[in-house]
Amino acid sequence: MATGGAIGRGPAAGGSVSPPAARAAPRLTLRQRESLAALASLLPAFLLVGVVVWWPTAQAFARSVTDWNGMTARLVGLANYRAILGSNEFWTALRTNVVFALAIPGILVVCLVVAVLLFEQVPGWRFFRSVYYVPTILSAAVVGMLMRILFATNGPVNNLLGRVGLASLQLPWLSTVPTAFVVLLFVFYWQTLGQGVLIFLAALSAVPQDLIEAATLEGAGWWQRLVGVIIPQLVPAIAYFVVFNLVWAFVGLFAIVYTVTGGGPGYGTTSVDLYIYRKAFEQGQLGYASALSVVLFLIVLVISAAQVRLFDRYTTTD
Amino acid sequence: MQRAHHPLVQLAIQLVLAALAVVALYPIVFMALNAFKTSLAYMTNPVGLPPGFSYVENFQAMVVRFDVLRLFANTAWYILLALLLSHAVSVPASFALAKLDFPFRGALRTAMIATMIVPAITMLVPVYVMLANWGIVNSYWSVVLVWAALAVPGNVFLLSSLMRGIPREVLEAARTDGAGYLEALLRIVLPLSLPGLLTVTIFNVTTWWNDLLIPLVFLQSDETKTVTVAAATIMGRFSLDTPLLLTGLLFASVPPILLYVLLQGQIRKGLVIGAVK
Repeated sequence: MATGGAIGRGPAAGGSVSPPAARAAPRLTLRQRESLAALASLLPAFLLVGVVVWWPTAQAFARSVTDWNGMTARLVGLANYRAILGSNEFWTALRTNVVFALAIPGILVVCLVVAVLLFEQVPGWRFFRSVYYVPTILSAAVVGMLMRILFATNGPVNNLLGRVGLASLQLPWLSTVPTAFVVLLFVFYWQTLGQGVLIFLAALSAVPQDLIEAATLEGAGWWQRLVGVIIPQLVPAIAYFVVFNLVWAFVGLFAIVYTVTGGGPGYGTTSVDLYIYRKAFEQGQLGYASALSVVLFLIVLVISAAQVRLFDRYTTTD
Repeated sequence: MQRAHHPLVQLAIQLVLAALAVVALYPIVFMALNAFKTSLAYMTNPVGLPPGFSYVENFQAMVVRFDVLRLFANTAWYILLALLLSHAVSVPASFALAKLDFPFRGALRTAMIATMIVPAITMLVPVYVMLANWGIVNSYWSVVLVWAALAVPGNVFLLSSLMRGIPREVLEAARTDGAGYLEALLRIVLPLSLPGLLTVTIFNVTTWWNDLLIPLVFLQSDETKTVTVAAATIMGRFSLDTPLLLTGLLFASVPPILLYVLLQGQIRKGLVIGAVK
């Protein structure tokens, strides 16, 4: 360690300490040594990600055109994809994800309104900010189980509705598809409020104060300042929130759907990721499940591409 | 914005905020209160207060029947191993991508970061088959490997962005003082990256503690399960005894809540980094 002395002393990073300086160092330029050090630094990370993420992802593509049971795979061409696109189950599952995606504007507005109210800094606002975040840190699985209990037919929600004279709203929440979606979206909103509020509060405090003062001097009222000056400044934060939740709506539903409804009634609230899980780990159709996961990956890819475009636009017009 | 309000406006705002706070907290309070009820007391009145807080059989059952302490130990152990593994590979990689000069640096960084968009579910089936062939399915090593690997791209993204801020001169100075690569990494880069490392650690720990999918798929026997998976599976089998199930959910919720109470500021900063950068 004491000799040599460049940051780029490759072999030392690998951990084999014998006499590294003598063997590796003398004939190498500084630049080559730095490259060796970089190689040694990157290798473990790329090895781990390569073996556990990239290779299986490539496998998912390769196996998606086969009939695969984990041991033997038989090439079937595009049969899996044809079966997927022709099956009601897939479209029903995709509908679940789309319902969540379409619910994003609603929670976006709620979060914006609450953030603006908090930003008025009425007494107690810090307390409220902390409280709203508590549901966000809990596990979606735990929250899902909790909500299943709350919305059970004999559960507390129906009990409370009865007590306040709203007996007509005492529904078998989880037994019909529309009401099951009401519960699922409630869970989504309940867990997302804290995240949205924090993001928008941070964005609000980053709005340059002189912009607001200038508008005030020109005679803009509270509402005009909000819509004309402040909201446009929040657009990058809004874009981030929407894209984050859009991706989540397609790949993050497993835990809450699994726990709240189990995907039912029937396939009514099954999301695509839960559908993949059932096909692969309960029915053993690994080729079909692989094709499904490729389809899901492509959907996410399209959303991500749109995201990159979106963010490029905001960073260049900055 | 405007901080001086008419008292009525202020009151109206507070009322709206308070109503939302009730909605946010009620399910959690409900969970905590009903853990102290018998199954019968719950069925007669699911919304009222428990008759007292001396009924702790649900908590005892958690410890004795469900061995909740072992579930906690399992989860903590898996998380610790995954953290060690992901940090051990992420920190040097981030340093190299941020501060070293070598061919294809940009391309390698892009490749690593682009991996963030691969959904876990996409690679899950093939990785399951692969780890089954390695014979480590149903061993916690499978969960540790998958957790760590999936965390690396995001961790490298954040850490390397932060490490770019380390002044080149600091590293040059260390080099002229005779510090080798490893020394520079451990004595200069690592201490300067501690705040970022803490953010990443909090994020990883909560993600893994709350994860259902991966431990559910890879760990089949009850004694290897994590707290979250146990709450959604083993304890769910006792859903007729709702207070018992609620007690289990309460156990699973306490660590994230504690972490949040202790590290609120850090967590807020960590969440917001992505949004403002």
